[in-house]
Amino acid sequence: MLVECDLDEVVLEMVYVTSRTCENKMKQLWLAVFLMVTATVFYGNEDKQFDSTTTQKPTVRVTDGGMETVIHREPSCTAVDAFFAEEVWGKVGERTCLKCHNAKGDAAESEFVLQETLQDDTALEKNRQTFLRHAIAQEEGMSRLLLKVAGELEHGGGEVLKNDSTGYKILSQFVRRSTGKPMVFPQPTELNLKPFFAGVQMMTPGRLLRRVTLALAGRLPTPVEQTDVRKGGLKALDIIVVRIMKEDAFYERLQEAFNDILLIRGYDGVAETALSYEHFKHRNWYQKHDLSSVGNEDAQREARYKLARDYREAMLREPLELIKYIVRNERPFTDILTADYIMVTPYTSRGYGIYQELKDKFKNPDDPFEYIPTQLPALKHRDGRSHQESPTGFYPHAGVLSTFQYLKRYPTTETNRNRLRVRMYFEHFLGVDIMALAPRVNDAAKITTEYEIPTMEAADCVVCHKVIDPVAGLFQDYYAVDGKGIYGPREDGWYKDMFGPGLYGEDLPAEDRWRSLQWLGEWTVKDPRFAVAMVKHVWYILYGRKPLLPPEDIDDPLFSVKRRSYLVQRNEIEQVATRFAKANFNLKVIFRELVLSKFYRVEGLKVSTKDPNRLAELDDLGLIHMLSPEQLERKLTAIFGRNWGRLTHRESNFKILYGGIDSKSVTTRITEPSGAMGAIQRIMANDVACKNVAADFSLPAKERRLFPSIEPSVIPGLNAESDQQIKYAIIHLHHLILGRDDAAEDPEVQRTFDLFAGIISDARSQDKFDPRETYACQSLREKTPRDPDPEYTIRAWRGVVTYLLRQLDFLYE
Amino acid sequence: MKRRNLLKLCATAGLSFASPVGQRYLAGAEENTPESAPYEGPYYIVLNASGGWDTTYMMDPKGVNEINRLYQQDDILTQGNIRFAPNAKQISAGLSNEEFFKKYTNELLVFNGLDYSVNNHSPCSRYMATGKLDSLEYPTFAALVAACNGSETPLAFLTFGQYSATGNLVPLSRIPYLNSLKRLANADGVDGSPHTFYSDDFVRDRIETALMTQRAAQVPEPRLPRLKRAQSMLFAAQLNSKALNRITPYIPKSQGKGRLPSQVDIALASFKAGVCVSANLSIGQFDSHANNDADQMKLIPELLAGVDYLASKAEELRLRDKLVIVIQSEMGRTPTYNKGNGKDHWSVGSIMFMGPGIKGNRVIGATDDKQFLVPINPRSLATDQEQGIRVRPEHIHVALREFAGISKHSFSRKFPLDIPAGEQLERFWG
Repeated sequence: MLVECDLDEVVLEMVYVTSRTCENKMKQLWLAVFLMVTATVFYGNEDKQFDSTTTQKPTVRVTDGGMETVIHREPSCTAVDAFFAEEVWGKVGERTCLKCHNAKGDAAESEFVLQETLQDDTALEKNRQTFLRHAIAQEEGMSRLLLKVAGELEHGGGEVLKNDSTGYKILSQFVRRSTGKPMVFPQPTELNLKPFFAGVQMMTPGRLLRRVTLALAGRLPTPVEQTDVRKGGLKALDIIVVRIMKEDAFYERLQEAFNDILLIRGYDGVAETALSYEHFKHRNWYQKHDLSSVGNEDAQREARYKLARDYREAMLREPLELIKYIVRNERPFTDILTADYIMVTPYTSRGYGIYQELKDKFKNPDDPFEYIPTQLPALKHRDGRSHQESPTGFYPHAGVLSTFQYLKRYPTTETNRNRLRVRMYFEHFLGVDIMALAPRVNDAAKITTEYEIPTMEAADCVVCHKVIDPVAGLFQDYYAVDGKGIYGPREDGWYKDMFGPGLYGEDLPAEDRWRSLQWLGEWTVKDPRFAVAMVKHVWYILYGRKPLLPPEDIDDPLFSVKRRSYLVQRNEIEQVATRFAKANFNLKVIFRELVLSKFYRVEGLKVSTKDPNRLAELDDLGLIHMLSPEQLERKLTAIFGRNWGRLTHRESNFKILYGGIDSKSVTTRITEPSGAMGAIQRIMANDVACKNVAADFSLPAKERRLFPSIEPSVIPGLNAESDQQIKYAIIHLHHLILGRDDAAEDPEVQRTFDLFAGIISDARSQDKFDPRETYACQSLREKTPRDPDPEYTIRAWRGVVTYLLRQLDFLYE
Repeated sequence: MKRRNLLKLCATAGLSFASPVGQRYLAGAEENTPESAPYEGPYYIVLNASGGWDTTYMMDPKGVNEINRLYQQDDILTQGNIRFAPNAKQISAGLSNEEFFKKYTNELLVFNGLDYSVNNHSPCSRYMATGKLDSLEYPTFAALVAACNGSETPLAFLTFGQYSATGNLVPLSRIPYLNSLKRLANADGVDGSPHTFYSDDFVRDRIETALMTQRAAQVPEPRLPRLKRAQSMLFAAQLNSKALNRITPYIPKSQGKGRLPSQVDIALASFKAGVCVSANLSIGQFDSHANNDADQMKLIPELLAGVDYLASKAEELRLRDKLVIVIQSEMGRTPTYNKGNGKDHWSVGSIMFMGPGIKGNRVIGATDDKQFLVPINPRSLATDQEQGIRVRPEHIHVALREFAGISKHSFSRKFPLDIPAGEQLERFWG
């Protein structure tokens, strides 16, 4: 840790108070001196680059039973002791103690309550004081802090650190430091206090523009946009991002991305079974829909197939259309949990039995995918008795949460008791994976038999179930089990052997019982974690991977630098979340903020580094994300003007092979290419080049995308002019396909030129070659005569395009 | 271009690969080895009965304390040293326990009384697959062994479901359809044709050379770690994919019927072609919270028939003596029935192994009459209620890593499994 404080900046006061445990004043005096020295050593100057662990706290107050020590510091000397920040807090406090010892945690009533440090830059210092108090406080000659973590003194969490663990050793060292005993452990790793982005190359606005248009709208930038950005830089780009977020293509991407997150399209059965037999007698309306005007029997059968397909697709999309609607209309994204409406189409509204009431509201009643918001009436059961209670007369919509599709995607059983739904609720809307780090118990089987109701009585179970089960109770009206519908309370009433419905200790009021999911939604959007979770979702959409998790292994010598990476990223997310909330939860704000953030703009490194600490810090930096099958198809379409189709066609096997998902059994995208995916890349490159090169040359030059400024007759080595012409054609291809802005002398241009020239040279060295493009790759399938290629240039250009399509600059974002 | 030439060119260009992918390529190139040899084993299959199997209807029979409604203690059968539950009379399809244990007892190592420690699907699946409960970063055993033994093979780690984290050590492959293999095997052929190519040989060679030299030129450039890794993986994926053409002769004309046989066919063809090291096979719906007995009597025979199919086909392909099979589930089922005649999650269960180097006809560990685990002495492997240890997935994984000869590999060290000193299972494999 850098030390730049002068001693005279640290004014030490010692306040003697009644001592219960200190045996002599000398010891107290020594402690004061020790604190002064450690303050000098560790309270380095604030480095604003190390943005997540600094504090402005001007005063440290240390209490040791008999002595209170107050250290006043100037703002220029306010960084918290590195040992505490990195070792005690980073490796033990934050990871272990904070789980229970927070204002809402199990140990909220204890004297040892800690705070999250990311949003409050005084929190770290407060935590340090808390640790200090307990480190110094003694019970029978031992530090209270150490006794507690070892499970003594009736520690509610039992033994959390074994005495040979690294965490315990860190606390021991902290205690020794705090009580003035010699230090016996190595110093913490010296922190890299350089700015996090030091030496990192940022993208030019022009290149960022291409990244953004492709990522959000699946298209290339327009010339106007390019000009605007060239003149206006990032400010102009921000305006363009706002415009992009009005394009339909953005909403298609948004829908696809949120399905990646919610997997909502993956529910079992055909789509209309989201509407239960008991409540929706018209759900199979398409089977008897009058199609007599379509034509003969065969035509009617085909039309009915299409009708069913469109209806099902419309039904699958409904919750995602709700998200689109919220974003498009810049409604608060809290509507995802609080919207008192759903989105329906002319087709799906027929399934709900409300088409007649709505038909005048549709612009085109025959459009299966025209979505409008509406409220469903409260559900009426076929049996004429078990109708849904609703003082308003409407179904108590709670955004996506109460949609039949979401509830069917995450069904329940008699034993699961809605807990799967709770898990997904936490993950989707609060960003908490409650199953991520399940606590180990000594003998789980024994516990489950020792207690009559383990989930309410056994401490090991209660710790999670008291959070999970109340939320499960909020879903109790949606308890049609075993896939037999959605809505329907449990016949015997909700379980008594579970904690009652509520959220984090707040009971569901009786008057809100009928609208319990609305109540849940309203509470959830007030939770600061909601905004953070939504930022993380958008981060995932933009980066194709989730934000970093905190590092786990405190014995890892790179733990501190990994933690720094995590904290810097986390800090960015928290800040964007704050701005998102202030902007009335407009999701577009998150896109704008993240697109312009340094993280998204990273291009590369200015200079190489071999420093392992720095490399670990930079490990996750940079977008560098392999395109999904859908993204790759969109990029191909944007560049070549027509889709390839084989990655996303519903009959194609390539979608799953290339790492795609089916939202049901395959739910995680593969982000690193295997040999199988490498083969698909080769197939794609071969086939796309095959289909497009001769076809492009067959067009008038001004209509060509790939070769607007060169003809097949231009061959390399003829003269300087022809070579130059070829290089310009290559520069155009590099720009179009790879997004590169190369100069003619760029080595990559030369490499591509060499490939082109080499192919032609090789062809000439053959005894003979067919003077026509191959049959499979001619401009039209049945073209006669085939495209002439007497110089082999068309095939050489095809080789060039194949080569470019196999490159990272094309296949990755 | 011959692969040999590519590798030479690669070495000449000073081409290096970011760890881990491709390290073995470069080693081969530097040694000027001939055409890269197919991976020749051992091969690993981890077969997961997803949802939680009822071990008391298989290799850990009880028949007491109303744990089983379909048989009593006296009905329990024995084959060699393995006791098992009878079920031939209860099943309508698949392979009965009687048939299975008769056929495979001499090869089977059964471990009863495994402590899953928790009883939720997600953490249990992760724990069983990786040996680590409290981390989301650890690779599955199948991924780890693939990374250690053959990361350069194009389908090094195949997965058909279940928890499949790789720890970023090796790419995972999903090949759900047998016919896809044919198409992938001939990526340069028009519509997968092995005879008609998009481009002439010299064009293909030129493209590969250009990609290779470009790759070499990237190496000295300042690069972000993530870019470096991506470049390596992409290059390796495309280069390795060419080895998929070896698979063509081994693709069966028709795919086996049933959930497991279809996975087995793809895995074995990939093993036989030397393009794959390990595969996660999965068969679901074991989570029998309702009607436990009926469900388990359908699923257990289906699972065992799948194992039989795997072993038989491996025999036909002469892979059997190189094939290690781990048969597991992420949890067990309670010793009591719930109101719906189902059984809920139980944190104690079993695991079975078979393959070369594994001494069969053995049962290690036990559960008592109430289906609680009985601790064992890790040295003698005998049950020891007083002084024994509770064997958890990390103990099994440490043993598996030792068995596979990868425990000291840098990848294994990157993901250490900490078990207390003296708790390593000795002579576990016989």
